[in-house]
Order: sequence, then structure tokens, then C-alpha cells
Amino acid sequence: MLSRAAFGLALLRRRTCFIRTYSDSAKPLSTPKEKGTSEKILSSCPENTVLAGLNYLKDQPPVVAKADSEYPEWLWKLIETKEIPNDGPGGRGEKMRMRKANKQRIKEQNFLKTQ
Amino acid sequence: MSKAAQMARAQVVRILIPACKAAPTPPVGPALGARGVKSMDFCKEFNAKTAHIEPGVPTPTLITIQPDRTFTFITKTPPVSYFLKKTAGIEKGSGKPGQGIIGTISLKHVYEIAKIKATDDHLKHLRLEAIASTVIGSARSLGLQVVA
Repeated sequence: MLSRAAFGLALLRRRTCFIRTYSDSAKPLSTPKEKGTSEKILSSCPENTVLAGLNYLKDQPPVVAKADSEYPEWLWKLIETKEIPNDGPGGRGEKMRMRKANKQRIKEQNFLKTQ
Repeated sequence: MSKAAQMARAQVVRILIPACKAAPTPPVGPALGARGVKSMDFCKEFNAKTAHIEPGVPTPTLITIQPDRTFTFITKTPPVSYFLKKTAGIEKGSGKPGQGIIGTISLKHVYEIAKIKATDDHLKHLRLEAIASTVIGSARSLGLQVVA
């Protein structure tokens, strides 16, 4: 039978097992959206920036960047890296991954042969 | 191919000429003269055709020379690398692409360049998205980083 004090100590000891031994910064609160606008800023190039060098015709006015929303949706996905799908053994993903690995191996072997 | 057969075929010359500035001097002169074309005639026609383009802009042309020494030519839009270099403000592309970034370009620039190239005849069957990906590929080869 544990006395009250001993019980408290035991609880404390149990609690000490759960003390973190690493540091972790507190999660930041979600930043409040800009007042009035619900649009995200997609581009580093704000509206009405002059795009230099693209007016190659004579007497063509300087080409100017439009607002983010006026560009098609696919534009913002062009620089995303392609993810190879994982559809299990025998699927397209495995084939793509193997081909990529084989090509890389051939390139490395060829390079080593030049050394 | 025998000499006679060679003479009987139309020859094609691919050359990059600054707009409105074709001259009989090299590289245009010898390239055409060797195939029997009067370079002065070509220059006058070329300068007339590229009068709407800012002078000095490199214009790829394809000159087809018939066996009877008459010629026709097609002009295309300036090379993508020319536009990219002008937009990024660099003179030459990187000597070691992939091993360092020498400039940055926005996706909006890529879009506008793709729009210009889409007016070309040999690209009109492609989606604008496809042309834009080729522009990004050229930017990567020059050592430019494409940012949103």
C-alpha cells in the first residue's frame, strides 16, 4: 500500500519518463490572411513589371506582366518535379523507376571508363 | 551522290541573320555565293521581309535554292536562347549548366516567350503548355533558374 506522498512521488516519476530530451520549437500560429483578398500570391513577378527583351518587333510597346489570375492554371505547375507513381510491382511506376536507374548506372559506368 | 544528281536537287541553307542587316559579307555572302545565288538580291528581299522586326535581332532563316539558282526563304521567330539571355540580362549562357545558377527567370517571362514562339509555323500544332516546357528546358541548359 503506497502512502499518499509515495503515490505522488510515483506519479511524478512516471511523468518524468515523458519529459522530452530534445528541443522543439512551438508551432507558429497560422498567419492571418490579408484583409479583403482571398487570393494567394503565386508569382515572384508582381503585376505591371516590365518584361525586358520581349518586344522584338519594331515600335512594339514593352511587354508587361499581367496579374497572377490572368495566367492559365497549368503555368504554376510547370516547375514542379514529376512524381513517379507507386502502383505496386509490375506497374508503370516500377518500370519508370527501373529505366531511370538503369540509365543512371550506364552513365556512371561510362564515366568511370574514361577515368 | 553523283555530281549531276547533286546539281539537280534543291539545296537548303540554314542560317542565323540579324534582322534588317543582311549584307553580302560573310557569313551570308559565301554561304549563298557558293551555291550560285546573288547575295545582293537575297539581302534586299530579306531586309524588306524583316523590316517589321527590331534591327539586329537574330532571325533564323531557311533558304531553299533551286537548281536554276532561284531561291525562296522562310523566316522564323528569334531563338529562345536569345530571349532568355535578354530577359535575364546575361551575355552568354553558363559554361557549366547544372553546376551553378547564373540568373533567374520568372514563369511569367516563360509564358510570354512561349506565346511569341507559338506564332511560328513549325510549332503551331503544339499546346502552349508544351512550348512553355521547352522554354524551361532551354533555360536550364543556359544555367538559368526558373522561379514562380
